[in-house]
Order: sequence, then C-alpha cells, then structure tokens
Amino acid sequence: MSAILEVKDLSKRFGGLTATKNVSFSLESGELTGILGPNGAGKTTLFNLLTGFIAADSGSVLFEGQELRGLAPHKIVNRGVARTFQLTRPFLGMTVLENVVVACLSPRARDAHDKEARAQELLDHVGLGSKAREPVETLPYGDLRRLEIARALATQPNLLLLDEPFAGLGSSEIEPLAQLIKRLHREQKLTILLIEHKLREFMALVSRVIAIDFGEIIAIAPPAEIVRNPRVIEAYIGKTEAAHASA
Amino acid sequence: MKQLSIVDLSGAIVVVALLALAPVLLNSNYFTGVLTVCVIYAIWAASWDFMSGLTGRENFGHSLFIGAGAYTAGFLATVWYANPWYSLPTAVVVAVAFSLIVGFPTLRLRGPYFALAMLSASAIMQRLCLIFWEYSGGEEGLYGLDPLIQSPLHYYWFVLAILVAAVAILTALAQSHWGLLLRAIRGDEATCQAAGINVTFYKIASLTISAAFAGLGGALYAHYQLQVSPPLFSVVVSITVIIMVYVGGIGSIYGPALGAIMLTLLTELLRTFGEYRLWVYTLTLMLILFFLPNGLIAPLWRRLTERFR
Ligand SMILES: Nc1ncnc2c1ncn2[C@@H]1O[C@H](COP(=O)(O)OP(=O)(O)O)[C@@H](O)[C@H]1O
Ligand SMILES: [Mg+2]
Repeated sequence: MSAILEVKDLSKRFGGLTATKNVSFSLESGELTGILGPNGAGKTTLFNLLTGFIAADSGSVLFEGQELRGLAPHKIVNRGVARTFQLTRPFLGMTVLENVVVACLSPRARDAHDKEARAQELLDHVGLGSKAREPVETLPYGDLRRLEIARALATQPNLLLLDEPFAGLGSSEIEPLAQLIKRLHREQKLTILLIEHKLREFMALVSRVIAIDFGEIIAIAPPAEIVRNPRVIEAYIGKTEAAHASA
Repeated sequence: MKQLSIVDLSGAIVVVALLALAPVLLNSNYFTGVLTVCVIYAIWAASWDFMSGLTGRENFGHSLFIGAGAYTAGFLATVWYANPWYSLPTAVVVAVAFSLIVGFPTLRLRGPYFALAMLSASAIMQRLCLIFWEYSGGEEGLYGLDPLIQSPLHYYWFVLAILVAAVAILTALAQSHWGLLLRAIRGDEATCQAAGINVTFYKIASLTISAAFAGLGGALYAHYQLQVSPPLFSVVVSITVIIMVYVGGIGSIYGPALGAIMLTLLTELLRTFGEYRLWVYTLTLMLILFFLPNGLIAPLWRRLTERFR
C-alpha cells in the first residue's frame, strides 16, 4: 500500500487563534480513517485547508504525490479530492436531481455523457433515487446528508472527506448512513476521511483515528486504543467538566 | 433540461406577430420609432437578466456596455467613415472587451465589488466623454451617423428580429446545463466549488455574453438616433434596465424583454399627463413591485398557462 495523502506540518492561524498547528499525517490508499476532536478543535478548518477553501499559512498537502496547497478549491476537486459540508448546503430552488447534475458537469466527470442519467444513478446509489424529481427543499435532514455524498461522488473522487455526516441525525438514520459509507469504502475502494466529534458513532466504522485538540494532533491509533489514550480522555473529560461547570 | 413547451412557443409567436404588425396597423412613423426604442430596451433588459438574473450578481452599470456599443458605432461613422454595417460586430467586440476589463478583477471576489465596479466604470466613462470632448464631442456627443436601413419600418423589423434571436439564444442557454450552473452559482458559490465548478469562469463568461448583446443593442440605438451622447453611459439607463427586469420577472429572459416593452410604452403613453408623468410612472412601478415582488409578466404568464402544461 502507498500513501494517497501526505500532510506535512500544516498550520493556520486566525488572528491570535491557532486553529491548525503543525498537523502531519498520511492516509494509505483505500483506508477509512476518522478524525476525532471536541467542538472547536479545528477539524473543519483542517478540511478547509486540505480542500483549498482556506489558505494554509505553512506546510504542504501532497495528494497522489502532487502539491495541493495553493490550488483553488474547484481544481482540488478535479484532482480527485471531494468533500461534504458539516452544514448541508444544497442548491435551493432546484430539484434533487439538478443538485447532483451540477457536480456531474465538473471537468472530472466529463466521461459521463448523459449527465441526468449519471446523476440518477448516483441518487439510486445513495438511496435517494425515488426523490430525484422533488424540490430539494422537501428533503429531511438525513436525506440532505445523502445528497451531499451523491454530489461529492459525482466528481469521481479518489479521496472523500466527510464532515460530521452523522451530526443531527436520529439513531434510526445513523445506521443506514454508516452502511452506505461502508459500502462506498468496500465496493469502490474509496479512501475516506471522516470527521466525528462523538466517539461512539465511528468506532465500528474506521480502522484508524486521528485525534485532534486545539488544532494539534494528540494521538493516532486504532479506535480500540484511542479510547484508552490518556490525552484523548483528558481532552474529552476536560471538555465535559468544563461544559458541566459552565452549565 | 427543460423542453420548450407548445404553450410557450405559441405565446411567443403571438407576441412577436403582434409586435411585427402593430406599426403596419397604426401606420405612424412616430409610433414605429417608439416601438424601435421599446425593442432595443428589451434587448438590454434580456441581456442584463442573463448574467445578473441567473447568477444573482447584480450589475449596476449595464450602461457601460450600452454606451460602449453606441460610441463604437459613433466613432466608426464620424471618425473612420466606415460602412455602417461594421458597427454591429465592432460594437460587440468592444463591449466584450469592456466586460473582461471589469469582470476579471472583480468577479473572482465575493461581496459588492462587481456591482460597484460596474457602477463606477460606467460613471467614469460618462466623465471621460466630457473630459476628452475633442474626440467624443463632449456634451453634444457624435452625430451624423448613417441609418443601417433607410425605411423606419424595415429598421424596426430588423431590430425586432435581433431581439427575437437574442431572446431565443439567451433562453436556450439559460435552459441548458450552462443556465443550471449559473443558477447554482446564485444559490451557493462554495457548493459549486465543492462540485468542481470553476465559478469565476462561468461568471465572467456569462458577463461577456450579456455585454455582447448590450453592446449590440447600443449600436442599434445609435443607428436609430443617428447620434450618441454621454447620457447613454449614465446610471439612469442602468437603473431603468434593472427596473424593467424586475417588473418583467427576473431570471426568465422573456419577462424582462416584455417588461421593457411595456414600461417604454407606458412612458410614452404618459406623455399626455404632462408634468405629472414621472409621478404616475413611479407610482405604477411601486405598486407593481410592492404587490408583485416577483414581477408582473413572467409570473402572470406561468399562472395563466399552468393548466396547459
Ligand atoms: N474562517 C474563520 N475565521 C476565524 N476563525 C475561524 C474560522 N474558521 C474557524 N475558526 C475558528 O477556528 C476554531 C476551529 O474551528 P473548526 O475548525 O470549525 O472546529 P471543529 O470543526 O473542530 O468544531 C474555532 O475556534 C473557530 O471559531
Ligand atoms: Mg466542524
């Protein structure tokens, strides 16, 4: 196996706040990895740095051996790195299908000649096929998450970044979505990096966890070990106590 | 992609036939002239709508392209004594050049830069016309342009044919995947980028298309008036076009075109009100926009034809 993504010494400051501090890690091709960290730890910022939505202050991001840092977001997508947003951001005023067709129009998806057929195929794949013709406004939250994933898949990524896909979902919705992610990973050999701020959800899903606190990596280990890691426990218990104290 | 429905096509044929026949029935050169101006404004409104209506990036200086096209025709006629038919393609090229100059630096940014840059650029051009009066004719502008077609009625039909072509082309684009992307850009630029779409490219390209038709309309106007003057660049022209778009129904292309025709006719009819004209005009506009925030023509047409679709 070879590294598909190599992040080296990535840093980002927002004024006085260091949101990302000397972050280095690499992902093997075909791996399903989790990023764990309390709210405000800098997980979304890390995704924004990897995908070009925010410019890093220093460091490098090598994807398939090529530097991504400094590229515009749409160029990074067309290199094969797709993301979803933590807060779903559909195109309002369009149908569910049209939302996916937009991504099928990206240069990377040029092989799919019939864009509508390709979008329908992707919607079927994520379990939204029957809702293709409906206005996107009618979708419940769980379906919007699936739509985000369909849109990301439309750009034919080699690396898929999912930002808290389970946030705000009821327990009945979490399990099928976890199955979908597993299926994408297994059937399409997709490399997936997935953010979650609650441990429980992805213990059974990922093979490795990168734990982040205050913008820094505090541990990288398989899930069974990460829950016993003293620094991870401290980050979580500390946060819990602080939350109790302030409540 | 949407299919053009039989209902829409029939409606379009009836409207175009009415417009084509109206001056024959009324048989007045004055009225033919009014209709010519109506149709030119319709070209300007439809072209504004293609970029700004679809992407949501409002252009407050469409008069930049209109004036650039008109003055191109003026210079060709009075300085180079060129064949008047060269005006149209040259005006398109010059307007597109202006759109690239303003669009490149400002459309990559978010926020109000684009709207403000268009506004300022048109105001600056108006000033430059006064400052370089030796070349531009100053306040009086350039005159002595030759008509493209001698007969006012034939010229009107020619301009109407260009409007029909413009609306057809812009509508086809708006209903294609291109239009889908422009509407996606209006919805959420970040999501578009995450979908791998080069947002800046599509915004600039749609502005050049918008500018091309606006510049063409500017040259047609110059060859109707047979003169050009600095108010063509004024913000009043830009705002008038924007109002026409809103009254017609933003984002629908045909709505703004018909809105422009309706409002230009209204202005003419109101001449009988003499000094109260502006009051009546403004009141009418405010009532329309207050009670019909989505506009009058396109929403009305959709309501009327709902059952036949
Ligand atoms: N664009 C930004 N400008 C300023 N501060 C930001 C910006 N984005 C994130 N932050 C700050 O960086 C920190 C990390 O945020 P974020 O990456 O969203 O955390 P997480 O996703 O782990 O909850 C927070 O303190 C947040 O307020
Ligand atoms: Mg986050």
